[in-house]
Amino acid sequence: ARVNCRVELKQLLMECVVQGIIETQHVEALEILLQGLCGVHREQFKVHELYLKSGPNLGAVASEVRLLCDLQQPEPTWTVRHVGGAMRGSGAEQLSVLVRTMVESKVGKNVLRLFYLLGYRLDYELLRAGVAFHFFRGAQINVTVSSVNKMLKLHATDEAVPVTPGIQLVEVTAQASSENYTEVAAAMSSFCEYLAPLVHLSKPGVSTGVVPTAAAAAASLMSDGGGTTL
Amino acid sequence: MAAMEGVVAAAAAQDQSQLQQQQQPLKAVERLNPAVQQQLNLESVKTRAISLFKAISRILDDFDVIARTNSSPKWQDILGQFSMVNLELFNIVEDIKKVSKAFVVHPKNVNAENATILPVMLSSKLLPEMEMDDNSKREQLLHGMQNMSVSSQIEKLKTRIDMIGAACESAEKIIADTRKAYFGTRQGPTVIPTLDKVQAAKIQEQENLLRNAVNHGEGLRVPLDQRQTTSALPIHLVDVLTVADSGQTLPDASGMYTKNTPPLSSNNINNQGTLLQASGAQLIGRAAASPSGATVSTSFDNTTTSPLPYAHSPRSGANMMNTPSPQQQSQQQQQQQQQQQRQKMMQLPQHQQQLLAQQQFRQSPMPGLGQNQLSQLHELQGQTQQKFSSMHGQHQMQFSQSLGPSQFQSRQLPSGSIQHGIGQSQLSQGNQLNRHLNQFSSPANSALFNAAQATPNNQMISNMSAMMPSQSLLPRMQYGLSGANRALASQNLSDQTYTHLGFSQLKLNCGWKIIWVNYLGVALAVFNIGAANSGTMMPMQQQQQHGSQGTFGNMPQNAQNLQPGPTLIGRGDGGVGGDDDGDA
Repeated sequence: ARVNCRVELKQLLMECVVQGIIETQHVEALEILLQGLCGVHREQFKVHELYLKSGPNLGAVASEVRLLCDLQQPEPTWTVRHVGGAMRGSGAEQLSVLVRTMVESKVGKNVLRLFYLLGYRLDYELLRAGVAFHFFRGAQINVTVSSVNKMLKLHATDEAVPVTPGIQLVEVTAQASSENYTEVAAAMSSFCEYLAPLVHLSKPGVSTGVVPTAAAAAASLMSDGGGTTL
Repeated sequence: MAAMEGVVAAAAAQDQSQLQQQQQPLKAVERLNPAVQQQLNLESVKTRAISLFKAISRILDDFDVIARTNSSPKWQDILGQFSMVNLELFNIVEDIKKVSKAFVVHPKNVNAENATILPVMLSSKLLPEMEMDDNSKREQLLHGMQNMSVSSQIEKLKTRIDMIGAACESAEKIIADTRKAYFGTRQGPTVIPTLDKVQAAKIQEQENLLRNAVNHGEGLRVPLDQRQTTSALPIHLVDVLTVADSGQTLPDASGMYTKNTPPLSSNNINNQGTLLQASGAQLIGRAAASPSGATVSTSFDNTTTSPLPYAHSPRSGANMMNTPSPQQQSQQQQQQQQQQQRQKMMQLPQHQQQLLAQQQFRQSPMPGLGQNQLSQLHELQGQTQQKFSSMHGQHQMQFSQSLGPSQFQSRQLPSGSIQHGIGQSQLSQGNQLNRHLNQFSSPANSALFNAAQATPNNQMISNMSAMMPSQSLLPRMQYGLSGANRALASQNLSDQTYTHLGFSQLKLNCGWKIIWVNYLGVALAVFNIGAANSGTMMPMQQQQQHGSQGTFGNMPQNAQNLQPGPTLIGRGDGGVGGDDDGDA
């Protein structure tokens, strides 16, 4: 049988992303700061991420796909996401955010079985649990502050343990297209500057460390006086 | 006059308020406010105005005379007079300006140019949109407070303002602090809090761990053979990963999801937590970890050493108590059956429970069985259970020494090693065992055995289970086992053998070494449990210690006297002797 399929991709979907780390003790202060900056309430965030890799039967180059299952909703909702390579070049280097291709789509719950039947295998999985903020500020921006957990037993999301108990991951992402990614990147960078007292954000892969003065900033945000001296 | 006009424009509101004030106390007579009156000083203003008027009229008369007489005016004088007049006027206007708000309205008359705008100027009502805006803001402000009295509303608003003020202050403080720190670092040696070196290094390390885990999955990948499945899948995966249809194996690559993994019996047993079950579960777990059928033997090779590091780990119990893959969990039928069996087990005395559990174990490590076959096994199990209960009295002799849980805990029986160890030599002993079997075989059993010889395929299992009578087969297992260990044959073992041993031997003859080995392993485990405790087992022990090499050589030998079990299985001379890679 022959199947003809026509797919038109008008715009290549991309995303801008930066990551940072924050000590768990300061997470609450960061949430307060974000709530003030974004103007939206935080949402609980719990996603089981399965990273699948294609088997050798699907070509010479292994492809990766991510399945995200949102466990926070009353009904778990699945999303499939393909993340491509980062943009390269002098223009990309000048940006303070990482821009990469990303395509995602909501899918039904049989997606995992589908990919297994296609020959994909589970490469690794993790569970992210924390809070998320979605708002518009020059671009539609999503901020998540979450602990990254690993599962000791396969798929045991209820028994997941943090990879790094004392440190949580802060991730800021925004969807963009190949035509407007510079504006989106600019909007994101300007927003990220507001988070400077508590967290340094950088392209994934670039190490930043924690903010030394985060404790003072957190204390003043937590309305318990904040009389710590620098 | 221009100045006056400019000032007068604002007079309207003031005028109204003044009028209101005046009207209230003095309705009849409209007088000017005393203060205004005083300020105005009407008398003086009148005098000055009159003198000004006279001066101006004099100047006009002079001009008149000059015009009539045609003489040239003395411009110096005239200019001087003009300037005087000007000055005087200016002073009067200044004085009036101060109080003009009280009683002057401008424009005075309605004419063409101000007819349209005058109503708007006069109205005190706001423009419609301004009004809406005003209302909404007031609504927002007084939200929820309109019911209260005005004073309490005022108080609440005040506190709100204070809070906002405090928040703003703290925000300012943060900005100032940050600015200080930022500029401090830029400018060099200023006091900013730096993290302790050690702490910074630790954080750096953690950060790398986290970033690599999130971005590249480092530290999160578990090799296929070490992946352990949980007893209960999370909700979102329960119906995704369960596979109701049997007979289809997912590709090897997805290892953990093969359907050829043991049924739920072991799963439930694990949940129960009795350690007798745990030992069997270990075997099951190992089998579960292996991919389907064809490569089983190699996987066993691989797993021989893997459990050993965990032998003494506190989590060894958890590690070893692997539960089968989720696919098995979906097999509701088996679940129910096992639950029933469990209930039965609970009712039986402990040693009987052990036997029953072992029987269950024996059924479980049978990779490759389809669902229908498993159900048949369960039928068999049910039958044997019945027979067990009838053999209650006989049991006691053999298994009166029931082992406590602790003894089982020490037992590390990776099924891989068992199977590996048993291997080919079992095949060679098959004939001996057959002889044993034939000695005790009921007609049904021998028929089964012959059938097994004749038809080497998977179907045989189901056939055998269907054909297998219950009680009479039990003795055979034991003897089959003892055939492997000559020394044991002499022991006073009762006729209680395990059906499945003979069963599995038959299968071995057909080429199902692995399965047989599994069975044997379990049976041996059970057997050794009883053996370790009975006095008649001495010869076995000697043999075992003798043969403590090979796969089980490293098995942890605890204080408890369960040593014979594993080593026997692993190695005995002439016994199980399975140093072979015969299954490869």
